[in-house]
Amino acid sequence: MDKAGSFSGGRRYTNGEITVYWKPDACVHASHCYRELIDVFDPGRRPWVDMYGASTGQIIETVNMCPTEALAWKWNEEEKNKTIDADQTNHINFRRPELMGSGDDTPEEKPATVKVMPDGPLVISGSFTMHYSGNKKEVNDSIISLCRCGSSNHMPFCDGAHRKVEFNDK
Amino acid sequence: MEDKKEFKSQATIEIIDNGPIKITGRILIRDSKRDITDNPEEVYLCRCGRSQNKPYCDESHKK
Repeated sequence: MDKAGSFSGGRRYTNGEITVYWKPDACVHASHCYRELIDVFDPGRRPWVDMYGASTGQIIETVNMCPTEALAWKWNEEEKNKTIDADQTNHINFRRPELMGSGDDTPEEKPATVKVMPDGPLVISGSFTMHYSGNKKEVNDSIISLCRCGSSNHMPFCDGAHRKVEFNDK
Repeated sequence: MEDKKEFKSQATIEIIDNGPIKITGRILIRDSKRDITDNPEEVYLCRCGRSQNKPYCDESHKK
């Protein structure tokens, strides 16, 4: 298999053991990937993903940190994809079916998902109705990040302030 | 011509002024302890950073 390739909406990279999918349009620059694993995810390098820069386990752990659908992964050995725990949050089983090439995509049936980022914001994806300060907004198949530390200057949204104030879940 | 699907969201996120985030409807919640709550009737999540029961609200914002 080639080391890199394309799918509709992004690129994929493999080390022979796993494949990592990258959807640039979904990235909200939460920057977990390159903070955790610059040897693999280096935005200043082309290609920016080097699948041989760290172990498969480290890559999986880092991809699971991505709060959006920008990064996802799967085992190349299909059998191993059949039994995946819910804590493998960014495994392709929990991602968009179009990445897997299956045609049965019914976005209107997909429930909204709230992901509580450890020591970070709430990342809400999917379709939902949002009410704030007397406004009502229909969010359709999108992603937002809401402040959970109380220190954002862009309430109710996250502006990254949780790092400055060292917000933690304790 | 573009096929326009009628959009009906089944989940509601309400930002309560000076209070928590109220979530109702069809929604999946994954919290930092990896618990997954599916279709809660009503959940209040802390956004002041002071709850002792994160990610849920414990009314600490009132103190």
